[in-house]
Amino acid sequence: MEEYDVTIIGAGIAGTSIARELSKYKINAIVIDKNNDIALEMTSTNMALVCQGGDSLTFRPGTLHAELNIKSIPLWPKLTEELGVPFKRIGGLGLIRNKSDYMKFLKMYTRAFRSSLRRDAPYYISENEFKPLQFLDRKSLKDLEPYISSKVLGALYDPNLSVTDPIKLAKALAENARANGIEFLLGNEIKSIEKNKDYFIVNTSKNSIKTKFVINATGINVDKIAEMVKARDFTYVPVKGILTDFDEETTELFSHQAFYLPRLGDPHVRAVVPIISGGLRVGIYLDFVMRTDKSLPSQGLRHNLNVIGDIIPGYPFRKHIKRTFFGIMPLTNAETGWHDFIVDIPNYVPRWINVVLGPAGVSSAPMLGKKVVDLLMMSGVHLEPKPNFNPSTKRGVGNE
Amino acid sequence: MSRVPNKVTLSIALKIINAMIRFAKDNEMLPGSYAVVDEGGHVIAFERRDGAPAATADIAIDKAWTAVTMKASGRILEVITRGQGWRLNVKHKGRLTIIPGAIPIIAHGRIIGGVGHSGGSAEDDLKIAQAGWAAIFREDDFESEVEERLSMARKLSKEIIKYVTDKSLRPVSVAIVDEWGEPLLLYRMDRAPFGTLELARDKAWTASAFRSFSENALVFYGEKVSTTNWNERVLPVPGGVALEYNKEFVGGIGIAGNEPEKDKEIIVEVIKKLDFQAIT
Ligand SMILES: Cc1cc2nc3c(=O)[nH]c(=O)nc-3n(C[C@H](O)[C@H](O)[C@H](O)COP(=O)(O)OP(=O)(O)OC[C@H]3O[C@@H](n4cnc5c(N)ncnc54)[C@H](O)[C@@H]3O)c2cc1C
Repeated sequence: MEEYDVTIIGAGIAGTSIARELSKYKINAIVIDKNNDIALEMTSTNMALVCQGGDSLTFRPGTLHAELNIKSIPLWPKLTEELGVPFKRIGGLGLIRNKSDYMKFLKMYTRAFRSSLRRDAPYYISENEFKPLQFLDRKSLKDLEPYISSKVLGALYDPNLSVTDPIKLAKALAENARANGIEFLLGNEIKSIEKNKDYFIVNTSKNSIKTKFVINATGINVDKIAEMVKARDFTYVPVKGILTDFDEETTELFSHQAFYLPRLGDPHVRAVVPIISGGLRVGIYLDFVMRTDKSLPSQGLRHNLNVIGDIIPGYPFRKHIKRTFFGIMPLTNAETGWHDFIVDIPNYVPRWINVVLGPAGVSSAPMLGKKVVDLLMMSGVHLEPKPNFNPSTKRGVGNE
Repeated sequence: MSRVPNKVTLSIALKIINAMIRFAKDNEMLPGSYAVVDEGGHVIAFERRDGAPAATADIAIDKAWTAVTMKASGRILEVITRGQGWRLNVKHKGRLTIIPGAIPIIAHGRIIGGVGHSGGSAEDDLKIAQAGWAAIFREDDFESEVEERLSMARKLSKEIIKYVTDKSLRPVSVAIVDEWGEPLLLYRMDRAPFGTLELARDKAWTASAFRSFSENALVFYGEKVSTTNWNERVLPVPGGVALEYNKEFVGGIGIAGNEPEKDKEIIVEVIKKLDFQAIT
């Protein structure tokens, strides 16, 4: 039986960014995924936004969600450059239609300032790495986005918001980790895990592996895998998000991310993003579902068409639909809406780390790897930096 | 592919309770009380584990009721009342329980029931209740292993439900209480009106309190027992039975749903099959 120091289960953005960070150290580690390729689950079905942190009401200071996202902001340009992955600063617009919107954005603006721009802020980032948010009046907004609805009176502008290609990024992270010595075992579904005093036996559909440490980064399945060794000390609810892509012709209509604040009693997100490969991505119709739910209810497309029609009125979007698809993500504290990430060692299972991301998980990727390395070091794993780590070389990770 | 339920049935309520117990055990949390209520706030299923304080029973039930009737989780209520929620307790005979561990069951965009847990710290209660709600989004079904007393109560109530179903009788509520009249288990079969659960609980209490058939409270201790109102749980109506196991008094069972004499007959027939004796 093969033996490893660390086994990472899941090759989504979480597993691959942790693998890449670990590949900077002398360690014997492997990444296992049930699929035959990288990033085929949540990491391939999202809004592709990164550098989030200043732009949304959900980033409450004090949460891991805020910490990992905000601290990741300055790391994005270098990371994507090293790996040769597309990255584009598009900027985000929080759209204001009335005074109540304005008051809420003002609160957000203050929060963003307090949590990252003030010198004594918990996640201080200097001004050349994190540009301050600013309010735009109707005229400056029109200059940026000429086709925007006349109902919009202004916006809170976050110049930091960016887009990337999460699938390409996860692949590049994996291939770079592989080139630096991390092994990959794809097409192997975890079936059971045995917990022993000093090691785990991980049984997949095809192999058994002995490992000292497990990092459980299985996306929507983190709870199920954790339950195998009684390491589930958290709960989340699966939430399906339905997105619609519009064809390349819509690219020239809009160049920023833009969103309306959620309305009371309406949980759905109303946002548009010009994605990096061209065209607009619009969503998100949200619904609590079973994790295996594959249905695509028509309310999804209807919602998304309403959203884009509300932001850019008078364009025949219905004729430019490219595809409607969904992703299922874990939402913690769903009964209050106070979502947070989980990146932690459970109370009663040492040498195990659960990684539950959910909203803005891609965006937190650069810091996530560092956070996990910290946890490993705290658990006594000896991590010695590799002098010959190369941040850009790549090697295929597929089954040879 | 299974769909998210749009109504909490008895079997879904039991799935929720099993998930809560499993979570509590996996995380070495103290044994407590687990309640699931319908969208009106009325108990569908309740269990109290061995060793859990008796007082946690009504706290768990009232938490679930609060989450449904206030349409919000205990966490939210705590925040929006700025920790002063207890002041509201002059209302509703003190039932409002504005502390974590109370969660509305949200599915298809509406509240279809509530979950309550009591027995641990506020943080543990919250985590256990969350594990309960999330269970309706799970495809897998499992039964958690429970301690001896609760497992006997489960067995007894399942036999009652089976008997009622096999004989096509009217659906019933089942209540099992300990030797002090405190609830260990409450189950309400689908389509049994919510009032039957309260009747069953009162019958079980009466049988336990007087260590005899519930109707004997009247016969042995005089008419006044039911009319003096010294305890609102006294219900000297047939359908409550005091139980012995290995010649030892262990508590009472009450059911309601059919004519009282029929309810009593169901219990007497079913306990014969298990090793319980009725105290006459
Ligand atoms: C609609 C929607 C919009 C979003 N928008 C954004 C956004 O704009 N910006 C942003 O940052 N984030 C966004 N997110 C969130 C982001 O997509 C996720 O946080 C991120 O992709 C999670 O990555 P992960 O690696 O944890 O999970 P995944 O990508 O799902 O990876 C988990 C991996 O584990 C593997 N696995 C699972 N079970 C097993 C098993 N039993 N055995 C072996 N392998 C297994 C899977 O095959 C998978 O490859 C969005 C999410 C959704 C659903």
